[in-house]
Amino acid sequence: MKNLWSNLYVWLDERVQLESLVAFMGKKYVPVHRHSVWYYFGGVTLFLFIVQVITGILLLLYYKSGEELAFESIQFIMSKVQFGWLIRSIHSWAANLFILAAVIHMFSVYFERAYRKPRELTWLTGMLMLFLGMGFGFSGYLLPWNELAFFATKVGTDIAGVVPFIGKPMLIFLRGGEEVSGATLSRFFGFHVAVMPGIFTVLLGIHLILVQRQGMSEPLHTDRSEAGVPRTTMPFFPNFLLRDLLLWLIVLNILAILAVFFPWELGTKADPFASAPAGIAPEWYFMFMFQTLKIIPAKVLFIDGEVLGVLLFGVAFLLWTIIPFWDRKSARGEHNRAITYIGLFVVGYVLLLTILGWVL
Amino acid sequence: MKRPMIVASIVAVLCFHVFAVAADKCFVCHEAMGDKASTLFKRDIHFAKGISCSGCHGGNSNTDDMQEAMDKANGFRGAPKGDDVSKACAACHSDGVKMKSFGSRLPTGQWEALQSGVHAKLSLSGKEHIAQCTTCHGAHGIVSVSNASSPVYPLNVVKTCARCHADAAYMQTYNPSLPIDQLEKYRTSVHGMRNAKGDSKTAECASCHGSHDIRSANDLKSAVYATNIPATCSKCHSDAEYMKSYNIPTDQFERYAKSVHGLALLQKHDLGAPACNNCHGNHGATPPGVESISKVCGTCHALNADLFSASPHKKGFDALKLPECETCHGNHEIVAATNELLGTAPEAVCSRCHSASERPKGYEAAGAMRQLTDSLEAAEQDARALLDEAEQKGMEVGEAKFTLRDARQARLESRTAVHSFNEKKFTETVAKGLSTASFVRQEATNAIDEYYFRRIGLGVASLIITILAVSLYLFIRRLERQQARTGTHNPQSNQ
Repeated sequence: MKNLWSNLYVWLDERVQLESLVAFMGKKYVPVHRHSVWYYFGGVTLFLFIVQVITGILLLLYYKSGEELAFESIQFIMSKVQFGWLIRSIHSWAANLFILAAVIHMFSVYFERAYRKPRELTWLTGMLMLFLGMGFGFSGYLLPWNELAFFATKVGTDIAGVVPFIGKPMLIFLRGGEEVSGATLSRFFGFHVAVMPGIFTVLLGIHLILVQRQGMSEPLHTDRSEAGVPRTTMPFFPNFLLRDLLLWLIVLNILAILAVFFPWELGTKADPFASAPAGIAPEWYFMFMFQTLKIIPAKVLFIDGEVLGVLLFGVAFLLWTIIPFWDRKSARGEHNRAITYIGLFVVGYVLLLTILGWVL
Repeated sequence: MKRPMIVASIVAVLCFHVFAVAADKCFVCHEAMGDKASTLFKRDIHFAKGISCSGCHGGNSNTDDMQEAMDKANGFRGAPKGDDVSKACAACHSDGVKMKSFGSRLPTGQWEALQSGVHAKLSLSGKEHIAQCTTCHGAHGIVSVSNASSPVYPLNVVKTCARCHADAAYMQTYNPSLPIDQLEKYRTSVHGMRNAKGDSKTAECASCHGSHDIRSANDLKSAVYATNIPATCSKCHSDAEYMKSYNIPTDQFERYAKSVHGLALLQKHDLGAPACNNCHGNHGATPPGVESISKVCGTCHALNADLFSASPHKKGFDALKLPECETCHGNHEIVAATNELLGTAPEAVCSRCHSASERPKGYEAAGAMRQLTDSLEAAEQDARALLDEAEQKGMEVGEAKFTLRDARQARLESRTAVHSFNEKKFTETVAKGLSTASFVRQEATNAIDEYYFRRIGLGVASLIITILAVSLYLFIRRLERQQARTGTHNPQSNQ
């Protein structure tokens, strides 16, 4: 058996020079410090994305897009297809856990200033992937064509429609017309299974190559090498990778428990002529924005409240995305307290508004 | 004491009239000319109240100088035209103080009521409303509504309304879809026949449609709007004192309000539910005859009526002069049909005529049909309970739930099939429902079994994953201990 593996390795090495890759991985180390635990969230996010790809492909075997087919096909998957219920529930749960893991990963990178030079591009691709992940969530939410999804999409695209100048054309583009209809479902399906995965895969490739090439960033406050304290590390291969695998197994078990004990409900089929049911709410990761727009007054000075909200979020997300380029202090290796305060404010704001969104 | 007072009153009234008439120079001249208006005016209630010609026509009625009397400077307006006619009437009739000064107890909102009604639509000329006060009440010979010669007296009002409403050419100009045979139908109704015989108490047009504020039957406020009809009819029919002389029950409304039809119409505002007129007719209102009841009910319950007409019961009921549908379901207080109506138990309607000894064939069939319908209901309930349980457990049973509707449909069809009084036909219908309920039950049971299977599956999967995770953890520990021993990759010493 061992001989077979050796032969296979030699066969591959002759063709793709595996030796250099193994040598590279053997020399790769991961810093060990009291915040090392946050490193694992990148891996968890990657694992959940892989789960999404696999379950998504399996769902594609039975899912049928279209106003008259979508709901029924999901119903079929849930009740007739062998383990269809499990695949659909895991896909839905993994989607939410993926966003959660990505958000935790993003904030850990932010607070550790891991975006600082030379990792600006890693941060940038990560942020773009987070936005794409939200896009996956938004487009995927509509695909079962149920009542809640229909009205949430209506509200969501309405909000996109208030963006000055490009809002209206964007709304028409997203909906495939003036109203949410079968045309919206078709294009959301296209975005969800073709456009977004394509872009995401490219970004993920760049992100992973950069992480492998540059290694893990060590926080400024734990790096005491200048004071003569030796840096503590662990080999990426196999130590870190095995720990990653251990965590993936735990996450897989959590997913299975969630899917069995809390199977993702299908609800009732969307009826475009019915009035909106009570308690329409977006996915939890959009809740803070939705709640903000709800509490902003209808008019602030001469600007429409909703427009102002959308513009403020646009500016905030832009500033957040390009932080490696304006946080010069961290780039110089100096501690920037303002960044910590801004981050704490954002975390507090998001948590508070999300809770308010559920309670109110 | 009484006598002198009566004499004094008569003298006072005569003096007032003599004075008033003597003062009305218009009337004096016009009467002398012998024109029709002043001849009619002599019996007019307004004349009796001392109102002069100038009350409506303006001018100075105290002078015998014609020029001065009919001078526009003195407010003379001649014969009012169009809406000015009604406005001239409203000048007094809408003024409570003036009306009181004439000793009138008439309501003062007639003109306003007329404006809110269907007759306040613009006429063809577009300059005036369709009807003025004089259209119904006449002009110079107006008498009290209680006067038998009044065109709006209960015995005359139908003819007054029919002047326009039975005129096809005239009605076509305003509402071509409105029938013009109301009077004809009315004359065939119990109300119409009594009215023709001189009974002024029976309902005529104004009794149901109102007098001044007559609204379209589609108007929510109309007294003949579907949901208002029972109350309109009950104004008379629930008044025991008023109906005393007719010797008919007065609890119809009370019973109807409790019926399945009454609840649907009056509480759910379901306009498809029948009101009084749907069974009795409206203008031709009359109680349906014994043999025509199934036809009346059949206008809505068509299948039931057809099955009944083809059933052996039709012949038997006709022979016994039993009122078809009413025999089992009642008339005004028809409640929702339940399984209890069917069968051989004392409360079942079948047992009123069928017993083990008398007409035993029907008795046996009724027992068998009841058993079947009970089985179907139980099977449907059982399947529904299992579906609910499966759904509560988070299982997707939407399709089975949808299929269960077929069982309900079969139960409803069986309710209809009862009216064929044919056991074979009934059994076939119930069998469809039983088969559907059985299928749904199986689907629900499978879903519940699947629920438990998932939990067992999760237990096994979790165990495997946990064993793998623990093994991996132990492997990492062993590996790192080995690394520490050999110093190959000591996590604590690498720089």
